[in-house]
Amino acid sequence: MIEPGAPAVEEQVPDIPTRIRTGLSAGMQTSLKIIKVSIPLYVGVTLLKGTPVLDLLGKAFAPVMGLFGLPGEAAFAFVAAFLLNLYAAIAVIVPLNLTPFQVTQCGLMMGIAHNLIVEGAVLSTTGARGWVLTLCRLVIACAAGLLLRGLWLLGGV
Amino acid sequence: MEPLLAALLGALKLSAKLILIIVPLVTLFEVLRHLPVFRKAGNIVEPAMRGVGLTRDAAVPLFTGIFLGLAYGAGIIIRVAQQKNLPDRELFLMGLFLATCHSVIEDILIFAVIGGSGLAILGVRLGLAVVLTGLMARIWKPA
Repeated sequence: MIEPGAPAVEEQVPDIPTRIRTGLSAGMQTSLKIIKVSIPLYVGVTLLKGTPVLDLLGKAFAPVMGLFGLPGEAAFAFVAAFLLNLYAAIAVIVPLNLTPFQVTQCGLMMGIAHNLIVEGAVLSTTGARGWVLTLCRLVIACAAGLLLRGLWLLGGV
Repeated sequence: MEPLLAALLGALKLSAKLILIIVPLVTLFEVLRHLPVFRKAGNIVEPAMRGVGLTRDAAVPLFTGIFLGLAYGAGIIIRVAQQKNLPDRELFLMGLFLATCHSVIEDILIFAVIGGSGLAILGVRLGLAVVLTGLMARIWKPA
């Protein structure tokens, strides 16, 4: 069932134990990288929660975040998601004690738009216009957020 | 001191959850990705791909992106896109689809772990990706 003229994109196939080892070590490396970022963020946000700083900044962002049914503090999570990745974002989200809908909303919008700098570069190298697609992601994330909010308000989801 | 300890404990718990998701996922992927089933899947989804303006050539990078994500799947996406010499239109359509819907397994798992609804996230992303890409494919006609 291999398509005719399939190009030689397949790599050499390593045996199963090698694949398991590759997977475990790649997984641990990825985890460590992520944890190095998420622990300080989580601790930072948790400690900030006890101060007026988070409140003030939260109020500043409340109008924008409110459009999507999110509290203003969630803006931090978006900054973390846009610049870094989803793991950084959830390290910010967890201490905020959001409702299940709000977590879902963050997951949806950030799932579409995250790690914009690195992934924008990936999209560019394929020859597709990276910055156009990055802009698309931001617009689509907002559209998806409004859509989910709408569905939620209609009593669905 | 006590708030700091509580924060550290919370951070460690979150880290443990993340390791429990990432390590098995990456390992499973490494073990499975060479199976022929993945290549055969291309035949099944071909009609669906045509609906959003994509050909079979885009199947490998598209599905790599959908399941793995752009950063982790970058190697495969870039290589295949160049080798197959995908036309601009198809690259853009694939990029648009992936912009909306990528790395679905990992993204949804991590948000489900912290209390979100995975089904709602997946449904909206997949639906939007199909609608947007299908629409764009009709606006940007093949040359």
